[in-house]
Amino acid sequence: MKRFEEVDRALCPVDPDTGEVLEPRAQPGYYAGFSTLAQRAFWDEATRKVVDKRVKDAPQRRYLSEQAWEFWSTVFAHLIPQTDRTPERQINLVAGLDHRLEVNETIGYRYEDMPHDRVVYAWGIDAINAEAKHRYGGEFMVLPYRQQDVVLKALHDGRPEAASDIWKKMSVHRFWQMIMGDAIEAYYAHPWAWDEIGFGGPAYPRAYTRLERGEPEPWEVEEQRYAWAAPSASVSDEVRSVSGHHTEAGQHSLLDKGGVR
Amino acid sequence: MKEPLLGAFEEHNKRKHMVGPLQQIHAPMRRFRDYEEVDYVIVGVGSAGGVLVQRLARAGFNVVGIEAGPFWDTEHDWVSDEVGSHDLYWTEPRVTGGSDPLALGANNCGKGVGGGSVHWAAFTPRLHPSDFEVYTRDGVGADWPIDYADIMPYYEQLELEMPVAGPAYYPWGHPHGYAYGPHPMGGVGNALIKGCTALDIPVSIGGPVAILSGSHGDRPHCIYRGFCIQGCKVGAKASTLVTHVPDAVKTGAEIRDRSMVSRIEVGKNGRVTGVHYFDIEGNAHFQKAKAVIVSGYAIETPRLLMHSACAGHEHGLANSSGTLGRYLMAQAGNVVMGRFDQPVRMYKAPPAHALTEQFYETNAKNDFARGFAIQTVGPLPVAFGKQMIAAKKAWGWGLRREMMDYNHWATFGLLGEILPWNDNRVTLSDDKDRFGLRVAHVSFNLHENDKNLIKAAKKKTEDVMWAAGAEQVVQEARYAHLVGGCRMGKDARTSVVDKFGRTHDVANLFVCDGSVFPTQGSANPGLTIQALAARTADYLIEQGAAIFNSNKRDMATPRLRRELAPPATWGKGVPRLK
Amino acid sequence: MSKEASGLEAAGTHDLEVVRNHIREGRFQRSLSLLTAVTSIVSGLEVAYEHYRGSYSRRVMYTPVILSVLLAVAGFAGFFSKRAARTVLRWVAFVTLVDAGVGFYFHVRGIYRKPGGWRLPMTNMIMGPPVFAPLLFGTSAYLGLIASYLQREESLHADPDANEDSWLTRLLPSAAGRELISEEQDIREGKFQQQVAIVAGVSALLSGFEAYYSHYKNNFRYKAQWSPVAIAPILAGVSFASTKNRRWAATALPVISAVAAADAAVGFYYHARGVLRRPGGRKHLLYNIMYGPPIFAPLLFGAAGMLGGLASLLRRRNR
Ligand SMILES: Cc1cc2nc3c(=O)[nH]c(=O)nc-3n(C[C@H](O)[C@H](O)[C@H](O)COP(=O)(O)OP(=O)(O)OC[C@H]3O[C@@H](n4cnc5c(N)ncnc54)[C@H](O)[C@@H]3O)c2cc1C
Ligand code: SF4
Repeated sequence: MKRFEEVDRALCPVDPDTGEVLEPRAQPGYYAGFSTLAQRAFWDEATRKVVDKRVKDAPQRRYLSEQAWEFWSTVFAHLIPQTDRTPERQINLVAGLDHRLEVNETIGYRYEDMPHDRVVYAWGIDAINAEAKHRYGGEFMVLPYRQQDVVLKALHDGRPEAASDIWKKMSVHRFWQMIMGDAIEAYYAHPWAWDEIGFGGPAYPRAYTRLERGEPEPWEVEEQRYAWAAPSASVSDEVRSVSGHHTEAGQHSLLDKGGVR
Repeated sequence: MKEPLLGAFEEHNKRKHMVGPLQQIHAPMRRFRDYEEVDYVIVGVGSAGGVLVQRLARAGFNVVGIEAGPFWDTEHDWVSDEVGSHDLYWTEPRVTGGSDPLALGANNCGKGVGGGSVHWAAFTPRLHPSDFEVYTRDGVGADWPIDYADIMPYYEQLELEMPVAGPAYYPWGHPHGYAYGPHPMGGVGNALIKGCTALDIPVSIGGPVAILSGSHGDRPHCIYRGFCIQGCKVGAKASTLVTHVPDAVKTGAEIRDRSMVSRIEVGKNGRVTGVHYFDIEGNAHFQKAKAVIVSGYAIETPRLLMHSACAGHEHGLANSSGTLGRYLMAQAGNVVMGRFDQPVRMYKAPPAHALTEQFYETNAKNDFARGFAIQTVGPLPVAFGKQMIAAKKAWGWGLRREMMDYNHWATFGLLGEILPWNDNRVTLSDDKDRFGLRVAHVSFNLHENDKNLIKAAKKKTEDVMWAAGAEQVVQEARYAHLVGGCRMGKDARTSVVDKFGRTHDVANLFVCDGSVFPTQGSANPGLTIQALAARTADYLIEQGAAIFNSNKRDMATPRLRRELAPPATWGKGVPRLK
Repeated sequence: MSKEASGLEAAGTHDLEVVRNHIREGRFQRSLSLLTAVTSIVSGLEVAYEHYRGSYSRRVMYTPVILSVLLAVAGFAGFFSKRAARTVLRWVAFVTLVDAGVGFYFHVRGIYRKPGGWRLPMTNMIMGPPVFAPLLFGTSAYLGLIASYLQREESLHADPDANEDSWLTRLLPSAAGRELISEEQDIREGKFQQQVAIVAGVSALLSGFEAYYSHYKNNFRYKAQWSPVAIAPILAGVSFASTKNRRWAATALPVISAVAAADAAVGFYYHARGVLRRPGGRKHLLYNIMYGPPIFAPLLFGAAGMLGGLASLLRRRNR
């Protein structure tokens, strides 16, 4: 993973009013002082073990080649950028992917217009490199940050211009869904990310008591918002709501994944 | 408090098999030998299988439940953590396709004793009387071979056994009340109440959910920790693992876990003789049985019957009608998310705690038949992040920004009835699983009626979200709850099983799970699945040995055997208003 | 001031004087029976819906509901008939008091059986059965029991049929038996200030504590939520002091009791308002009563104040 020291300060978020770089924080987000890990003693032993392992175990590369590991680390650093975090508090995003591919664990299905997961990650490298070459005449890894962002945005938008042979065999939407899904599973499963977004974390045996009005538990903290803008070198900050007040059902065929209910 | 009194919590009772903080599994469990001919083999100890095993064991039959996944020790195996709970789901390979492919895996099925009831949200509304005659009323879908009056006593019974918490008066369908009191609200429920009240839509508060609002013997009540979908370590949420399986083991059933049934054997006389299965090490076994019940879920049940094709059943066992695997259904389950100015913290309280069925029935003003429900959902961060990819196309810094607002969002799920279509089906793919068995291929396509319904349902759900005071509303398309694929019917030419779950083709082979649904309504299926299982069990018990040695079909309705309920059922709850 | 008005006023003060004398002399069986009935209805309603929240998951949870109906009936009966007051009311109140003890046991056990049990006292008291609620429920039973030993308002002489519990005294060792008889005697004569003061103090502490953790659950969103928490220990302190000191009983006790009662009334208003302000408000009134601020809880706090007030009017035992 790219460490902060290696990263240009131009890649850090800025104060939108002054335009000044915001110093990286041990804990970005609006819940300064909140720590789920400080509550470990209140969790059951099984949960504590699982979360501890996530926080303490050094990332291990078993399945991906060194280049592939580097490649996906770089891509994931665009999917979920962490330059607002101090280096020792950045979360490894590819270790889980490596493990999953090694033991050949899937989410329990594959789309018929998608190859097997291991193949997805192999073809993904080729397709992204092809897009990079097509747009900027160089492999993805050698491009500057902004150009890398633009290459990935083309896939995000579902409009790649190169590697049509690969995209014929692999849906670009589903590809995007998969890599985003893996990045999210790594980042938002980490207690540091819970602290960032103010999620209470594990809650057994101790329960929640304040269920209504978004009130914090005694050990949670109130939100303290601050303004920040994405670094100018990035193009990933704009979000587009797919559904305003009215949308058609066509979106069904494109995006569905994960599970609640 | 920095720590609980007496220090951090440690796992207790390491040597006992616990299915909750206080509840333990009777030991030793009875074991049968492969060569012993047991009365019943039940394939899959999930929602339906758990109830069947319990009833049949209590009635004195020799029963083995063969379950592909583990027999959970909840204190040891389960965690309060999203990603750490992957093992609860069926993550064996499958292929999904069609014009509107379904997400399977965590979105659909469980693996392990309790099956889907381990990770369901436990919404337990009943079907409406109209659901049993959709074809007669609306000229679409199909009719059930039973009507509401047939299943109603079983609804009432299962609502006591789980038990179901909910309002004292539930106005939709056949009005009724619940034995356990309603739950307190979380932020999402309050948003639903506000939105519905503003639009003058009645709303059911605090249920019906199979989550304890008061303690129940050895099961403590809900602690509102919001991890229902990750398995309820508290034991407050009903799963057959805590409601029925403990009694089954106590009364002499065997649960053979981590054993995957690969084929059902058919003897010379055209009757099934037992099942082939692989144990955890991959060794093949054959368990003899006088009768077999398949309760493997809407995908695995058709798959197993297809794998069991043999001479005389070339297109799959019990598939003379050609409908095996067809008429598969999922409910439209779009998630509508609203951002509120004030924090909501939707991770508190169970995801399931309020709903409205005001739009459930066919309405002549609509351009579609049937209807939908609106329910609360409460995704945890990982699930919510994935929804943000779809709903807002968020990534990179945009995703980080949206996620920092996690606590400001509330989410509703619509539950829309999709009709049974012939081309929505399970087949066998060329992909193989670890045992070399071909995996299921699921093909799903929306039709005109479905699309119109989804559009209207989405609009209404978004309206409610706006009315609740959201300042931004987005939505994500998704589906929930697979059923069908082995539907029941009167006519052997158009259905796989009869109204008791007996296959039309083989007299001692039964199917009992969600796959027998001819239509699905817009109620979550779990309660109906368990009610049907209890009814099938009553039928089998009534028929006694006739199932084992005769091919005659007695279609008389059996008596409801209340006395076979788990004893812990009784002596709790309020008398119900009927 | 017109003659008429001053006459009315005189009549008013006269009435007050009569009431005070009745209490001093223990001649208020009728009114206390009535009060018992009323408090029993209130606490019966409270326990009915609180236990509905707990889904009546044990049959024993019905007992306080049934008993409070019986106690209310017995209270009314005691209002009309001396006989009823001395028999039915006494026994129903006694059984209810025992039931309160049983309830206390089950609530303590219920918390123990929640995940984390007593190792998470605050969480589980908030989310589990309210520990002290059963004891507070016993308040009305206590009033009923006392009422059953008093004299009627209209009775002029000491009662001829005293010592009707003599069978009980026969069972006890003679010293204890004598003590019991003299206690009964004192109650009959309104000389039980200390006893009521102790009960008032204890009940103030318990309901103050209940107020503390249920307002804590709400994060003390309104400053007013601190008021019962602040008043309760003072009321308790003054009540206990009153047992030792006649002056306290005559001065501070009525004042602080009145403050507590007034605070309870304010609390009742805010709780009722809170119920209506919940999502769905009036449309889902029953649900909102169940899960909104407990509307009767402040009245139980007020009951402690009322006991304090009662104590201040009574006479002390002469030993
Ligand atoms: C996230 C989520 C939330 C849900 N929420 C709700 C809800 O709120 N309300 C509701 O009513 N429903 C809900 N459901 C749906 C509900 O869980 C299922 O409909 C129900 O559990 C299906 O019951 P079943 O008996 O058909 O199958 P299952 O309960 O899935 O049981 C099948 C069992 O059979 C086993 N099995 C399968 N094949 C084999 C084989 N070949 N050999 C051995 N064992 C086998 C499986 O391992 C499994 O344990 C939810 C589902 C999900 C995924
Ligand atoms: S919210 Fe309640 S039912 Fe759901 S997991 Fe937690 S304790 Fe169990």
